[in-house]
Amino acid sequence: MASLSSGRRPSARETAISTGVVCVLVVIAAWLWSAQAHFSPAVTVAASVAQAAEAARSSAAAQSVLVATLPAGLRAMSPVESFSPDTLSDKIDGKAELYLSAGFLAMRCQRFAPATAPTAWFEAFIYDMGRPENAFSVYSSQKRTAAQDAGVGDYSYLAGNQLCLVHGQYYLEFVGADDREPTLQAAGELARAFVSATTVARHANVAKDEALFPTEGMIAGSLMLLSADVFGFDQLKNVYVARYREGKDDLTLFLSRRASPSAAGQLAAALRGFFVTDCGGKETAPPLAPVDAVIIDSGGAFDGVFVSGALLAGVHQAPSRAVAERWMQRLDQCLRSATP
Amino acid sequence: MTPSDNLSRDPAASRREFLRRGLQAGAAVALTGGLASWLWNRHPPGDFNRGAASALLPDFSDTSMGPTMAIVTGKNRAAMVRRALEALGGIGRFIRRGDRVMLKVNAAFATPAILSATTHPELAAELVRLCLGAGAASVLVTDNPINDPESCFNLTGIAPAVRAAGADLVLPRAGQFAPGTLPGGRLIRDWPILREPFRGITKLIGVAPVKQHNRAGASMTMKNWYGLLGGRRNQFHQDINGIIVELAMLVRPTFVVLDGTTSMMANGPTGGSIADLKATNTLVVSTDGVAADAFGATLLDKTSRDLPYIARAAERGLGTADFESLQPVRAAV
Repeated sequence: MASLSSGRRPSARETAISTGVVCVLVVIAAWLWSAQAHFSPAVTVAASVAQAAEAARSSAAAQSVLVATLPAGLRAMSPVESFSPDTLSDKIDGKAELYLSAGFLAMRCQRFAPATAPTAWFEAFIYDMGRPENAFSVYSSQKRTAAQDAGVGDYSYLAGNQLCLVHGQYYLEFVGADDREPTLQAAGELARAFVSATTVARHANVAKDEALFPTEGMIAGSLMLLSADVFGFDQLKNVYVARYREGKDDLTLFLSRRASPSAAGQLAAALRGFFVTDCGGKETAPPLAPVDAVIIDSGGAFDGVFVSGALLAGVHQAPSRAVAERWMQRLDQCLRSATP
Repeated sequence: MTPSDNLSRDPAASRREFLRRGLQAGAAVALTGGLASWLWNRHPPGDFNRGAASALLPDFSDTSMGPTMAIVTGKNRAAMVRRALEALGGIGRFIRRGDRVMLKVNAAFATPAILSATTHPELAAELVRLCLGAGAASVLVTDNPINDPESCFNLTGIAPAVRAAGADLVLPRAGQFAPGTLPGGRLIRDWPILREPFRGITKLIGVAPVKQHNRAGASMTMKNWYGLLGGRRNQFHQDINGIIVELAMLVRPTFVVLDGTTSMMANGPTGGSIADLKATNTLVVSTDGVAADAFGATLLDKTSRDLPYIARAAERGLGTADFESLQPVRAAV
């Protein structure tokens, strides 16, 4: 202030008023800070609802049908809906995590029905998983036991009212309102239309990985590629598992390709620790083979872990220690014969 | 001569200058305040009613004496729910003349009833008929689905079924949500809750199917209250057990119906294939949602120990995980 710069001391009243103004400003600033810190989610909700509605309108306007060429006689019943990793759960709720952990990029869906049979409607879901392996992962991890080969795309099956398939990086689901012929036939036609109209850079093919497993005793179609949180262990990712039957009992063999033998060894040690510490298991006497294998008694179910080169391998929930050891040796033999 | 010279040499002029500047500052503050007041939106987006922010949902729980759980086996949902309610003393024990009843169904997905991802329309309709038959003044059916509400209620068959039975269907709109904070809650804090349809409601019934759930392990009566939340509720999936317990704290129903006639054993909560389903032929009515869910776990080949939210809800005193301790009435139709 000019008066201050000239050396005059402010009066007591001026000082009091100035202090009061500063205090009011401090209180206002504190209130603003507090209000911002407790920002109501309701505002976000309203904003996101409006944005979602706008996005849906834009999407519907940009593309009114999911597949460029709709099979004759098929009619769209709803606009195309589009979902990103941020919004996928708005459509499939708690199942979104399965896709997100497997590399999900985007999903579009739409309902269709034959023009002559409107009650035979179905909803088509097209998931872009980024890579064929990711698409196979979500396909195989959800594959129903009572599935029949549907003969479309790289891998496919029909289970009741549902048709599922992998086409390159895409995982497709067609969910019918019923399991009758008109519904399933219409869904199949749309699936084939998508496959023939959609060029993919690379197809899904897990034959090479499947060949690493013993063929004898494998439950047909049980091979799965699990993306994350395998056996409940958050460090265990991208693991092939296949189920086997021995007598009345089932067991699981697993394989995971790691970056190097040392990485596989480290993960094997971590998994062994998980079975013992988190699952309350007890290590049993080391088996004669494979080399450096361990078998853990997890309360009557037996888990075995070993390393073969850069592969982490093992058995999960075998009914006895002897069965666990025997199947680990079979798996080890397969891996040795596959690796020159 | 500069103004500062004037100020320093003439105390009177200094006082005048001080007053002039003070008035200018006051005018600036008043102008700014007035402008801020003019710009302030007293009605937040979505017409949320801030006045109701701290209010909770009413407690609809039945504190009268009598059996608290009935387990009925069979295949006909309508017959099973009638039998279960008879076993608990009849619908008249819960619903009285003039009651305004809310039926909170699970209409989460726009999928057909055969997939059992949602409340079965025949069961919802039978409950509507039972309530109206007991003298209820009205029955309102609602849910805040995951997918588009109109498609969900229509494609599941719930809308036509409950309307035909005489109920009013309420499709959620943004204005029906109001932020609420659950006392003692860690997750439900200033969060939009479907509150408006509760206006005037005197009884609340939850009706849920038995489903495996990818995140929660299972979705049954307690998880069903998730459909009262608005907003970006998917973030609660990061603590799915925590939110289910808080929902059980938030909502105290008159009774719940757990439909395990057909259970979704895998690929839940959406399912998608009838191959995911198993005929478990059981229906539960209970005033204790924790006990109902603990029993429901057995239909999914699990125990309550497999579902952490059951034990945590029991620890909170919201019910019992030991459903047998309630000495459930068992019957078959």
